[in-house]
Amino acid sequence: MYAVIPGVLLLLVIALSGPLPWLMARQHMFRRSPLAALVAWQAVTVAAIIAALAAAPAAIPLVTSGDNPNRHPGLLALVGAVSGGMLASLLLSGHRVGRRLRILRARHRELVDIIARHDGQRTRVLAHPTPTAYCLPGRHARVVISQGVLDQLPDEQVQAILAHEEEHLRARHDLLVEFFTVVHQTVPPVLRREEAMREVRLLIEALADRAAVRVAGELPTARALLTLAGSATPEAAMGSGAGASTRLGLLAAGKPHPVVTAIMYAYAAALVLAPVVLLALALTSG
Amino acid sequence: MPLPSSAPRLGDLERAVMEHLWETVPSHPDGATVREVLECFAGERQIAYTTVMTVLDRLAKKDLVLRERDGRAWRYRPADTREALTAATMRRTLDDMDVADRRTALLHFLDGATNEEIEDLKSALAQLEARAASTGEGGAGSPSAQGPEHRRSVKFPRLRR
Repeated sequence: MYAVIPGVLLLLVIALSGPLPWLMARQHMFRRSPLAALVAWQAVTVAAIIAALAAAPAAIPLVTSGDNPNRHPGLLALVGAVSGGMLASLLLSGHRVGRRLRILRARHRELVDIIARHDGQRTRVLAHPTPTAYCLPGRHARVVISQGVLDQLPDEQVQAILAHEEEHLRARHDLLVEFFTVVHQTVPPVLRREEAMREVRLLIEALADRAAVRVAGELPTARALLTLAGSATPEAAMGSGAGASTRLGLLAAGKPHPVVTAIMYAYAAALVLAPVVLLALALTSG
Repeated sequence: MPLPSSAPRLGDLERAVMEHLWETVPSHPDGATVREVLECFAGERQIAYTTVMTVLDRLAKKDLVLRERDGRAWRYRPADTREALTAATMRRTLDDMDVADRRTALLHFLDGATNEEIEDLKSALAQLEARAASTGEGGAGSPSAQGPEHRRSVKFPRLRR
């Protein structure tokens, strides 16, 4: 019966890479509890990685059929090469993505530092009438807003926007996005789901919105969303799916029942445990 | 030219030099040499000739200034006005990033919205406002209620950490 475990692990990798993210992106209940949802999304990704790395080791007992695996150095080397190769390609992808992002951010930060007005340690104000706001995460983080934000929005909405951006920086949401980007790019294009990335982006925005609500209140946050949505440039809308209206809806929806949140966490834990348990079963069955 | 009081970092110098070049464009359309930029800062603090040269070289590498040979020296002038650079940054066409890269590199408050979405937003906001009004909490401070205050400073009440 344990003979099927390597196959099950491979099926798990496929399911966790494509179909499950597709299904999860459809369950909008997750969005009501953004933190738990992000943990669940991370669990999917981590479980997929564990399952992929565990598939080859799980097949060892099949080949040795009860024999001590240490007497099959060739087999162990092969298994090590398969799993090690996967891990190496993942790490390499992580290195590449991280490096590219750091370069892009540094270049943009240096530019903004020169052309924008400095307002405090890390807030920069671009002299432009169109309201816009973003942050540049990293070691030398910046919050960038345009003069249009200060000219057109009342104080409380400005506070909401700044609180939102500061939350991205404080909670290092960029690292989450980076992690998902790396894994996303490692999954073969036929299998990976764009919905997964979109959902993760939406969830970190929902989390930052909550921080804005705590600082500035619900209505100013909602109004700031509407003001900035109305002034966005057409290019900026490119490639972005639902966002602003979903986030406003989430502001209004409030928190789900604690039990629902607890189920999400349990689901996340089960996902990560599944491949670990499968591997343990395979290795002890020998 | 305002320079930071203690040990200016290269970035601060780049900004100060760039601002100097922008300010002097009307009087010196051909640009300034390293010596001219250095003389301008001379009264305020001690900066080495080579430091100014490094700063101008870095600005040139970032395509923020153009340089032309003038005898044995280079003349540096801004590649574009501050307004044009700001507009380009706002359009986000300045960096050679594709859309996916840009969205990962910079976390935007909002990624833009379609017209239908703005209609959805308006009705969702109306619902929120109606709910807030019925529970009696503040409906004050609507977007048009306060006039613009030019160049007002950013206030951020919550302390980090």
